Amino acid sequence: MNRRRPYSLTLRLALIFALLAFALLTTLGVALYRELEQELVRRDDAALISRVDQLRNLLNDGNTLDLIRTKPELFQNMLGNRESVLSIAAPGQKPLLLVNPANIELPPVKPVPKDHVLALTDVQHLPGLNGVPFSTVAASIDSGDLGSLQVTSGRLMTERTAVLASYRLSVYILASIAALILAVVGYLLVHRGLLPLRRLARHAQGIGVSNLAERLDGHGAPRELLPMIESFNTMLERLAKGFVQLGQVSTDMAHELRTPINNLLGETQVALQQDRSIEGYQQLLASNVEELERLARMLDNMLFLARTDPAGALHQRQELNAADEVQRIADYFEGLAGDVGMRIMTEGEGVIWAEPMLLRRALANLCANAIKYGAPGSDLLIQAVPDAEGLHLKVSNQGATIPAEHLPRLFERFYRVDESRERSSQSNGLGLSIVATIMQLHNGQYGVSSEDGLTCFALFFPRRKD
Amino acid sequence: MNILVVEDEPKAGNYLLNGLQELGYCVSLARDGVDGLHQALETPFDVIVLDVMMPKMDGWEVLRRLRKEADTPVLFLTARDDIADRIKGLELGADDYLIKPFSFAELVARLRTLTRRGPIREDEQLQIADLQIDVLKRRVTRADTRITLTNKEFALLHLFAAHHGQVLSRSLIASRVWDMNFDSDTNVVDVAVRRLRLKIDDPFQLKLIHSVRGIGYRFDTQP
Repeated sequence: MNRRRPYSLTLRLALIFALLAFALLTTLGVALYRELEQELVRRDDAALISRVDQLRNLLNDGNTLDLIRTKPELFQNMLGNRESVLSIAAPGQKPLLLVNPANIELPPVKPVPKDHVLALTDVQHLPGLNGVPFSTVAASIDSGDLGSLQVTSGRLMTERTAVLASYRLSVYILASIAALILAVVGYLLVHRGLLPLRRLARHAQGIGVSNLAERLDGHGAPRELLPMIESFNTMLERLAKGFVQLGQVSTDMAHELRTPINNLLGETQVALQQDRSIEGYQQLLASNVEELERLARMLDNMLFLARTDPAGALHQRQELNAADEVQRIADYFEGLAGDVGMRIMTEGEGVIWAEPMLLRRALANLCANAIKYGAPGSDLLIQAVPDAEGLHLKVSNQGATIPAEHLPRLFERFYRVDESRERSSQSNGLGLSIVATIMQLHNGQYGVSSEDGLTCFALFFPRRKD
Repeated sequence: MNILVVEDEPKAGNYLLNGLQELGYCVSLARDGVDGLHQALETPFDVIVLDVMMPKMDGWEVLRRLRKEADTPVLFLTARDDIADRIKGLELGADDYLIKPFSFAELVARLRTLTRRGPIREDEQLQIADLQIDVLKRRVTRADTRITLTNKEFALLHLFAAHHGQVLSRSLIASRVWDMNFDSDTNVVDVAVRRLRLKIDDPFQLKLIHSVRGIGYRFDTQP
């Protein structure tokens, strides 16, 4: 299982800001640094070349050579600093002049021929001392009587290295500072941006059973949060409705329990008031059994409605012959209907994909209602109508039209069209809600229509799908 | 018939003991699972009524241990209307179950079924007093008078006659005659019995169908 700690959006965004800023600024800095480095190298190389060029010109003059021999310190001063190296020598001989204050070891460099004009590409770049680069250029010079001389000029790039190092440091420091600033700014921005979310969370926390009617306030929240607020509010709406219904069911059930318990209590207390005949006690006990059976049935129905294992019911579905099932119900209610002069007519055919006990229970509840509310002497019709999708079962009876406003609520638990008339009757107000539950278990549909004295309950069972 | 009742609830244990003894059965009562298992292993019983929810050792455990030693028929009592619970019991080797609250007549009927040895022998001819039933031809006569019954009326009469002398509960009748295995709020069974009485009993001196108040009906020559 994935049990990672939830990450912080704020921290994550701030870090991303910082990293991005650092990466961008460093890249920019490095690019500029390279440019600068090349420029500096070019300049240094040009200086070296111009020095060698000058020496080429100077050394064409014999006097200069004399001067070199007699007063070499003039040339040492000419170079002006400790990083420069100058050597003038005939090939294979001791140098005529060697200015090398830092005692840099001069590597052998191939001189540029006399007739060749010096170019930037002739400058050799060597690793030099302690990582400080050393640039050098050598050229052959024709010096008249002394013949061919080799002039080598070089320079240790200490200054350039220092400049570049300080530049590098600046780039990194500036990039780091920028990254830090952006991280902080990003953190603050995101933190501020999420303020409405925290406000909503606080608000949501305050919503409980006692104030389910309260809704989250979308005012001042960013557009991105509005769909969430809306969904949350509709969820609250559904919960509130369900909660009210649940509370209503509990209240109704408690009220329903009152009648049988009251009967039990009252009858028993009255019976115990004085000594009675055996017959009297038997009557009392039989009456108690009736009430207790009523309670047991109600309990059974409530548990049935609270049952939450639709899979169990669906597993036991069978393909049932519709004509047989309809006939079975007709047989079952034959006597009861006959008592009020009603006839049960059946018609239809087809296959019902249902759990047999649940199907019979649903049909029995509908028929019991139809007989109870049907006009005496009329016909009760049970029809099975198959179609491509499944099978429709219809139970219709003639009788008083149910007012339209009651129709949508008929399937609710304990809902009764006429409160006063039916409380004490045999019905417990759960019959149709059990029908509804059974149909939901079968992924089916249920409905009722009542017009012009004809009331029709319709059930639809979808056909078996492989 | 030797019956062991394992039930920790005092009132329930008492009424089961008294009720079954009054019907002429030999009943032992165990008040907890440990005692129940001990008795069940000591004495050969014909059938055991076992409550599931008990302290010390619950019914499942009793059943599990009992099944290692004996195959006495077991009917378990549960207060939970839960399919998983029922399946568990049957898988552990129970033979039948009843969900509390249950009717006492129902319990007696189930116990009789569990202890019946061999296949049920369907009588082809039934004769109770002057009532004759020819099961194959579906002919009913009383005092040599032919009585015409509908299919369900015949089924009801046949059920009564096959169990004459026994009290049949309404839910048992509904289940056997119409295959409706749930308690209905309607008085369908009463109506059907009344209609049957019209044809079978009303024209004659000796009444055969008797109401047993609070329980159901009994088919008997004795009042």
